[in-house]
Amino acid sequence: MLAPGLLWLTCLYLLPVMALVPLSLSEPVDRFTLHTEFRWRVVNYLEVLRLYGPILLRSFAFAAIASALGVALAYPLAYAIRFHGGRWRPLLVALVVLPFFTSYLVRAIAFTTLLGDQGPLLQLLNALGLREGLNRLGLLEGGRLLHTPASVILGLLYNLLPFLVLPLVVAMERIEPQLLEAAADLHAGPMGRFWRVVWPLSLPGLNAGLLLSLIPAAGDVVNPRFLGGPNQQMIANTIESLLLVQLQAPKAAALTLLLMVLISLGVWHLRRRGFNELPLP
Amino acid sequence: MTFTSSRSSRRHFLQRLALAAGTAGLGPALLQACAPRGGPQAGAAKELVISSFPLYIDTDQPGLPGTVKRFEEATGIRVRYSEDINDVRQFFARIHPQLAGGQLLQQDLIVLTSWMAERLIRLGWLDPLPLAQVPNAKNLRSPLRNPSWDPTQLYSLPWQSGIAGIVYNIKATGRQLRSVDDLFDPAFKGRVSALLEMRDTMGLLMLADGKDVSRPTWEAAQPAFERLEKARREGQIRRFTGNDYQNDLLAGNLAACIGWSGDVAQLALDQPDLRFVVPESGGILWADVMIMPKGARHPQAVAQWLNWVYDPRQAARIAAAVQYISPVEGVREVLAADPATAKLAKNPLMFPDAAMERRLHIFGPLSEEQEARWEERFARITEG
Repeated sequence: MLAPGLLWLTCLYLLPVMALVPLSLSEPVDRFTLHTEFRWRVVNYLEVLRLYGPILLRSFAFAAIASALGVALAYPLAYAIRFHGGRWRPLLVALVVLPFFTSYLVRAIAFTTLLGDQGPLLQLLNALGLREGLNRLGLLEGGRLLHTPASVILGLLYNLLPFLVLPLVVAMERIEPQLLEAAADLHAGPMGRFWRVVWPLSLPGLNAGLLLSLIPAAGDVVNPRFLGGPNQQMIANTIESLLLVQLQAPKAAALTLLLMVLISLGVWHLRRRGFNELPLP
Repeated sequence: MTFTSSRSSRRHFLQRLALAAGTAGLGPALLQACAPRGGPQAGAAKELVISSFPLYIDTDQPGLPGTVKRFEEATGIRVRYSEDINDVRQFFARIHPQLAGGQLLQQDLIVLTSWMAERLIRLGWLDPLPLAQVPNAKNLRSPLRNPSWDPTQLYSLPWQSGIAGIVYNIKATGRQLRSVDDLFDPAFKGRVSALLEMRDTMGLLMLADGKDVSRPTWEAAQPAFERLEKARREGQIRRFTGNDYQNDLLAGNLAACIGWSGDVAQLALDQPDLRFVVPESGGILWADVMIMPKGARHPQAVAQWLNWVYDPRQAARIAAAVQYISPVEGVREVLAADPATAKLAKNPLMFPDAAMERRLHIFGPLSEEQEARWEERFARITEG
């Protein structure tokens, strides 16, 4: 039964990843033909960590902030869809995934218009008299929103929201209404029913959503490219540059593996702390 | 004067976006934006496959067919003209596994920036152009003959050349800009961009430092690298861009930037406050060239194409559309003779006069080792 799955994993995932290992320990012989020689260059890892460590940290920080904000938005949204959506529930879920019908790249480009210096969002903030205050709080840079950390995080947040909402809705769908009725019979108020029934039973969905959003966010290349400036580039942009511009395939491979290891360690750590699998019905 | 140098990408961003989306998601095979079909004999032997930058040729207009269609009708050769080169380095990354492995590319002719052509010549990945069958090659302007990237002139013919200088919105700056130092004016903090094309950005900064860019050295470049890094770190430079600086200019996100001459001529139609200036310390002259990859399948068709686009009448149509510096002698006269294009014949950015030419400089060649060192340093600045 496992054979097709294992074959799939071996051919399309394990083998390419394994091929990266010797490449990451090699030295370029001919820069332009990408010919490399395996020389146990562990120093490749140390070099990329030294040079690009701050960008790695920035990537994880952006991903964590975007995911945290995503949870703050996605949880009430999922709750509203599940418990107050009524017959509109399928439509509301469809609306959540609607942006996915447009190219990821196009969505990022559209954001450049929304967040631009003359864009509608800054004009609205101006009209509300909030621009100066947000500037003082450091959320804007020189009155600008586009090409700042805030715009990259907003872009990540927007694109990751469905990954958070959908697992949460699925998890909440599995909460039997009778449980809430039983809790009410036992004199639990609305807050009690939420904290003692809904919250614990929705945690698998929350955990799955967090994993589904954190991992792609940390490796995102599009949002920092279009919504960020040079001080907001993330680690995938660096890998792309190492491979395509600097023609340093071994270092690109080392950085890729390093990113994979760090993310895997993070996932392993979260699972040890009780993060479960996607709560499929 | 001989030319070297550079420019990595072209034209309006949304078209490039579509290409980028295709490149990222759908693969190069879907990028073949076929030219109009319908030559008398559209057979495999009568075919020509060209890769170039987006919007770098005149296209079909009502009642006025573009260069590709005119060529097809005149020769019967079916042209597959793909605007699939967004960035020369990414294009190189795409083709090099095939060329390095001795495999043939589908392209018969590729338009690339001169420094990349020099690299491909050095690697032995190009075939000589069939110039014996291109009588119009005699129309190549003398300053472009035997250039530094192809001293024997066997492997390349220029497509267009242009100038890297300063583009600014005079309403946003509130004053005329004249020098590279103006880009570092704190009044424009966060509203300035520079080009990802290293030779253009570094060339302009080095010229401002009084350095000789025709023989670039690592030591001479250090003050420019440091100035650029400081400006990036302190937020003076908002972005490093390819052609997307155009959208930022039109959207009002930039007050000034490093940009290319031909782009501004067309952008000014939408935004009349835009200006292009060659800095007092000098501008960088670049060239894009046509090259034939090793084992190109249709060299006869290549010869006919080269001969066609080096006919001053055809070259004038291309020049009027793209508004860069045409490499073909006689284009100015053709443009001047037509009242609709006579104004272009007086444009110093398309036809630099002697005074302008004295201010233009060519970024000299970098050795393989130098190039790697420069690109690593530049990438670490542009990517934070």
